[in-house]
Amino acid sequence: MATILFNAFSFLQKKLKSQLRPYANVRIEVADGATVRDLVAGMGLEPGDIEAVFINGCVEPIDSLLHHGDRVAIVPPGTPGPYRVLLGMLGKPKTLK
Amino acid sequence: MSKILRINTKEKSYDIQDAQGDLASLGGRALTSRIVLNEVPATCHPLSKHNKLIVAPGLLSGTAAANSGRLSVGAKSPLTGGIKESNAGGLVSQKLGRLGIKAIVLEDKPENNAFSLVVIKKDSVEILPADEYVGLGNAETMKRLWEVYGKRVGVMSIGPAGEQRLTAACINLADTNGRPGRAAGRGGLGAVMGSKRIKAIVVDDGGTDKVPLADPEAFKAANRRWVEILNSHPVTGQALPTYGTAVLINIINEAGALPTKNFRFGRFEHAQDISGEHVTELIEKRGGKTKEGCHPGCVINCSNVYHDKDGKYLTSGFEYETIWALGADTTIKEIDDVAMLDRLCDDIGLDTIETGVTLGVAMEGGLIPWGDGKAAIDLVKKVATGEPIGKIIGNGAVFTGQALGVDRIPIVKRQALPAYDPRSVKGVGVTYSTSPMGADHTSGYAVAPNILKVGGDVDPLKKEGNVELSKNLQIATAAIDSAGLCLFVAFAVLDTEDGVQTIVDMLNAQYGLSLTPDDVIKLGISILKDEHEFNSRAGFTKVHDRLPDFFKEPLPPHNTTWDFTEEELQPAKHFD
Repeated sequence: MATILFNAFSFLQKKLKSQLRPYANVRIEVADGATVRDLVAGMGLEPGDIEAVFINGCVEPIDSLLHHGDRVAIVPPGTPGPYRVLLGMLGKPKTLK
Repeated sequence: MSKILRINTKEKSYDIQDAQGDLASLGGRALTSRIVLNEVPATCHPLSKHNKLIVAPGLLSGTAAANSGRLSVGAKSPLTGGIKESNAGGLVSQKLGRLGIKAIVLEDKPENNAFSLVVIKKDSVEILPADEYVGLGNAETMKRLWEVYGKRVGVMSIGPAGEQRLTAACINLADTNGRPGRAAGRGGLGAVMGSKRIKAIVVDDGGTDKVPLADPEAFKAANRRWVEILNSHPVTGQALPTYGTAVLINIINEAGALPTKNFRFGRFEHAQDISGEHVTELIEKRGGKTKEGCHPGCVINCSNVYHDKDGKYLTSGFEYETIWALGADTTIKEIDDVAMLDRLCDDIGLDTIETGVTLGVAMEGGLIPWGDGKAAIDLVKKVATGEPIGKIIGNGAVFTGQALGVDRIPIVKRQALPAYDPRSVKGVGVTYSTSPMGADHTSGYAVAPNILKVGGDVDPLKKEGNVELSKNLQIATAAIDSAGLCLFVAFAVLDTEDGVQTIVDMLNAQYGLSLTPDDVIKLGISILKDEHEFNSRAGFTKVHDRLPDFFKEPLPPHNTTWDFTEEELQPAKHFD
């Protein structure tokens, strides 16, 4: 098992809150070999809910493997300004789709 | 929209003439920068009679085009010493558009300290004594002007900071509630207005007709499509109306790029406490408004009205850069203290970014403790009273750093850096370095698909591709600033195949032109050329593109450094 630190932002906070799920600075245990897609699979999120995944501060594909001590955050569509480009959110398939 | 209104602030006289030559086809930032280049001696002192303050609505302002009510204000900046265009919402831009005024140019300078009030109506321009408003904050000034000239008139005014000609002074604009929630914030343009002894400009478009359109049906169709594009996009249709721009706090913090404690760290441990999500939660609980347009006709509504714990109005236009500067950069974590600081800045007429960074520098110098919101509030209040320490703070980060013997001052061209650490988002660092405006995030804000040749694969932590990306962002931004459009439209445009074409369709239908998207890009390039030319004449060279030396220190959590040489940055300023 690995323990990661999890955050959800923007609309995803409301969505998780409505399901009584914690969403801010939560420590979650995941199975060895689990990916971000596995992590969010049981959270009741739909395809298109996630535009970008941060792992340790960098935008990474949703199928990235999780490791013990990782800091993970999920971001829905709607990041304003040029930051979707400047942070590398555009261009690669990184969503739930 | 073809007239230029020139006001001689010394003689208290005015002149209205049709725009001639190359000025006739320009609007917004393109017009302010061209007039500054052509008419202001680049070597002049920015507070002298030789500088001019130019106020120009965008090309689409005054029409029904959604989100077209942005105003450009330009001059030689007393903060940077270079050219400046500062952009704001409010009511003035659309009213000038409907009055057919392309620009107001404030010229010369009175020989005494008597302030004036300019009142512009359909058939008159008055330059009146403003004695009764001198010394008032922007909130009271706007309240009284609405009482005298009617609710909903456009007002732009300066507070005590501008009256004292302090270089962090901004020009505030009345928002749709008559409060000073909007600002042409950056570059000390409030000091230029103060040097001309103009306390406020009132714009009343009562009795005017609609802006004439060359092809009304085509304009209507293009605007219908435009609204559809903005409403259907997740940024402009959902995220911004719900959380405002402060939705970026958590995201930029997660990316390790939220400058914290005077740019020491890329993450703030209390980011959640000052996040857009938390602000929205408090507004929903206390009252206020989670969404509000910065000007009529805005369909994005990313602004807000924030109340205190007793449910009373505290501030409005409580946005990302403001919250970052007054919060994370100073390590003040109590959001109500941050909101009070924003309110004070709006009332005194101070740029919130410059003031937040200045407070961080003041904390660095030991003037007040890190994270002490109450001490910061007391310090900012002193700007209004005119006591020496207030004058130091009101002159911005460089001046305050020098006064306190601080060697860690985050500026480019003497202007404070905004809310993204250039070591973790290198593309924005290129913009800070090379923009003619000094460190300015909005100079490289817009993205248009036809010029976005890089982007998807850019790594924010590496150099590759970031110079070209910044250059393209700066070009697209300059063009959007000239149309009078809000920069946030840019992301809906990016993701929509006919986005740029729709903007061009509106311009063509209004003016009877046959522009293409390429012409829009050419316009953006010509603006940047004008601005770099002015700065060159003013004495700026590539050495002024340097970030401060401390950005060579690694920034946690990524431990990246700013590693561009001046030579590597220069292609962002070359357009041939």
